[in-house]
Amino acid sequence: MTLRSLRLVTGLVLMAFVTGHMVNLMLGMHSLAAMESWRPWLMGPWRSIAGQGLLVCSALIHLALGVYAIWVRRSLAMSKTDVVQLCLGLATPPLLLNHAVVMHMAGEVTPNFDATFGQMLAVYWSFSPGYAFQQLGVVMVVWIHAAVGLYSWLVLKPVWKRIGGMVLPVLFAVPILALLGFAEVGREVLEKLAGDPAWREHITANLRRVVAVTDPLNAMQSRLLWGYGMLVIVAFGVFGARVLRERLQRVTIDYDGGASAQGRRGLSILELSRLNDVPHAHVCSGRGRCGTCRVRIEAGPGSLSPMSEAERETLARVEAGAGERLACQARVTGSGVVATRLLPPWATV
Amino acid sequence: MSQTLAGWSVQLLADTTTRLEVLRNDVLQAPAELGTLIGQTHAALMSANGVAAFTYIVILLLVGIGVEWLYWTYAYSPLRAIQSSPAASPRQALELALRQLALQVSGLALFTVAAIGASAAFSWPSGVHELVVAATLLLLVLRLAWMLIAALLAPGRGNLRLVPVADERAGCLAAVAMTVVCLLALGSFVPGVMERVGGASHVAGALRLLTTTAAALLLVIAAFAFFGSRGQGPRFPRSFVLALLVMAVYGIWLLNASAALLAAILAIVIALQIGLREIVFFFWQDDRDSVVPSIVLSATRFLVVLVALGVCAVAVDTPVLALAAAESPLVRFTLRLLGVATLALLTHVVWISIRSGIDQRLSRIRPRGPHAEPDEHSRLLTLLPLLRVSAAVLLVVMLVVSSLWALGIEITPVLAGAGVVGLALGFGAQALVRDVIAGVFYLAEDAFRIGEYIEAGGNTKGAVERITLRTVALRHHNGPLHFVPYGALGTVRNTSRDWVIEKFNLPLPIDVDSEKIRKLIKKVGEEMMADPEVGRFIMEPLKGKLYRVDPGVKIFRCKFRTAPGRQFDIRAQAYKRIEAALKRMDIGFADGKTVLLNPAPAASA
Repeated sequence: MTLRSLRLVTGLVLMAFVTGHMVNLMLGMHSLAAMESWRPWLMGPWRSIAGQGLLVCSALIHLALGVYAIWVRRSLAMSKTDVVQLCLGLATPPLLLNHAVVMHMAGEVTPNFDATFGQMLAVYWSFSPGYAFQQLGVVMVVWIHAAVGLYSWLVLKPVWKRIGGMVLPVLFAVPILALLGFAEVGREVLEKLAGDPAWREHITANLRRVVAVTDPLNAMQSRLLWGYGMLVIVAFGVFGARVLRERLQRVTIDYDGGASAQGRRGLSILELSRLNDVPHAHVCSGRGRCGTCRVRIEAGPGSLSPMSEAERETLARVEAGAGERLACQARVTGSGVVATRLLPPWATV
Repeated sequence: MSQTLAGWSVQLLADTTTRLEVLRNDVLQAPAELGTLIGQTHAALMSANGVAAFTYIVILLLVGIGVEWLYWTYAYSPLRAIQSSPAASPRQALELALRQLALQVSGLALFTVAAIGASAAFSWPSGVHELVVAATLLLLVLRLAWMLIAALLAPGRGNLRLVPVADERAGCLAAVAMTVVCLLALGSFVPGVMERVGGASHVAGALRLLTTTAAALLLVIAAFAFFGSRGQGPRFPRSFVLALLVMAVYGIWLLNASAALLAAILAIVIALQIGLREIVFFFWQDDRDSVVPSIVLSATRFLVVLVALGVCAVAVDTPVLALAAAESPLVRFTLRLLGVATLALLTHVVWISIRSGIDQRLSRIRPRGPHAEPDEHSRLLTLLPLLRVSAAVLLVVMLVVSSLWALGIEITPVLAGAGVVGLALGFGAQALVRDVIAGVFYLAEDAFRIGEYIEAGGNTKGAVERITLRTVALRHHNGPLHFVPYGALGTVRNTSRDWVIEKFNLPLPIDVDSEKIRKLIKKVGEEMMADPEVGRFIMEPLKGKLYRVDPGVKIFRCKFRTAPGRQFDIRAQAYKRIEAALKRMDIGFADGKTVLLNPAPAASA
């Protein structure tokens, strides 16, 4: 299994979980009771040992792959989508950590703590609204990250032509409906808090039990955050060190139509194009999937990195001729390369 | 006079002091008030209301982003295509930039409409809806500004750049411009909301002061950094003028914010009007003869003024619609003046397109010299100036009439009065009308063109020199110039069309051999035909035959066909050559002598 497909699979697992969660929230538009009654079906599977294991593993692997992607980056010449994905992906763990820790750990540290929707909504809407802002932010961040990821994977598939028109609206309807559910059920929770002293008592008692274990939870959170922060800093450090080390080794590449680009040794042809504003098609923004960036190497094929298996596959799929390479995969290691862009910059799959 | 001036100055100084005192007060009290404001905001946020508001805002953002994303899944490829097309000329770059702008602005409009439209669906806590709309508008302004700046300077895309700036400077300039826009937008959107929602007028004042000062400073620095001296030789540096202007506007702003806005708009409008000709022709440098740039120029000039007026109205918070509905005569008059200006612009555009079209046509077909032959264009040469004058008259009349109408002056009586007067005049000017209409038909039927020799119905004849609405000027070959009204022109005998046949007689002695003479004349004709000088005007060569026999004389009639107006020269040539040929054959012309033959005397018987 390649890293690429691993990232995809873990991402899909996480997205499935998030979707289930969101759908559960949507039920808030009906009532709090509906949310609670559907919870075992929508969220329950993830509470089982297997589900929890799958979820945690996926989250950790996805995060590690994200950090690794920074680690091995060679330049910041990214498409806008990639910048968005990077920023949102980096922002997710710190925003989500609190919720995850409370939901998964509180149950284990505190005896008979029940993490119901009512409990959490009461916290968000009444007891400490600060967490609500965090959660609302996380809904937006996570969902856009997931939607962009899913979109950039699906848009390359032939099937997208048929299902795209349905999938895109659904992608945006899910978080909007979930948030509407959150807002609706919030009103209900507030009324219930005011009008049902028994329930209120139950909630506060529960809350007191969590507050009692706040300190160890907080300590754990901050340790995790620190660890995450260090990891990200190290990844960026490795990236920065590579850029600094290679900054003096310049290579030049010429294109068809008299354009030329200059940049650090070891950058891919596509990165050189982007850094120098040379128009170059790239639908999958340099993941070697779409084949729109392919070029014919007119001279200096020896100054390019050798072809990887993934590149060979993609080239075969798009029925590329001899002497053609994927600009996003072929890294320039020396001078004298002349490349002809085979597709117009506005090409789609 | 001097006293008024002095009083006014004192008043101004007093105002200044008050205003500066207010500003100082704002700045001094701002920190404390800011603390309160932050405390209030925090308290408002950390409540169920705050959570609800934030949820709605996130929903709005998602709705806006979703709609715009959907749009871009269709529009991104066209945008890439535009951005990577090479622009051969500045005009092409302008076209591409406009197309790019249209794509981007559509996306932005979708985002804004979706967000603001969706915001209407929620019941917001008090004051928040206004905040949300203001924030959406702020976002709109900022993104729009960036689109415009990116279209003008196209950082990183030299092929699409509209302003002639070097690559490395474009990015810098764009960043500075965007920063200034950001500061100004912040200074105009945020304080208002702070005042209305938060009631923090001092913080608002201080924020305004801060952003405007920063923007002014940045502009001054940018003026010195980016605008060097231009052209050759020492000239007053533009950077200094620009910096001075910025400081002047800033100074006015310190005293009166809306006055400063007006001053800034005025300065920009004046600068644009001065530079507009150069700017427009920069984009049409490849075909300067075309009509389009002139039209674009005048339309742009008008548009600049109109937009400036609109911005001014918004800036000083004129309730335009209320004003338009109000019955204030001054306002109505102003609005009508605007209508007249629009009419004038339209008329101007039409006039420019007609005039430059006619002028271009004229300059293309103008004869080489004043005495050049009339050619196939001479009818156009005749008609086009007439057309130009008529169009001018018609346009002016239409402009006057429609302006009167736009100004609200009832024109029906004017027209009716004009009708009555016209009737009276019409009887008097019957001849005039007849002349004009007859002239139109003469020209339409192509009876004569400038340069042609015509004989009119009377005894007038001559070459057509000038054609006006009422008369034609004929130059008689002896010099006098006849001015003939078309009505009196009558039958026109045009002697300059296609060809003429010239005939002349040749009296020879009775004893010449007719057949020999015929051949001789024919030979002369062929020689003339072959002559490079005269041959090209002859359309049918000279021929002659015996025409009549008189006592003692044989008269030969000669005939040839030439281009109009050439017959006289060619006849003279023919005589000359025939005479020479006859002399070679030792034949003289018939002399007038009568020979009396005395019959032999009869025998005397």
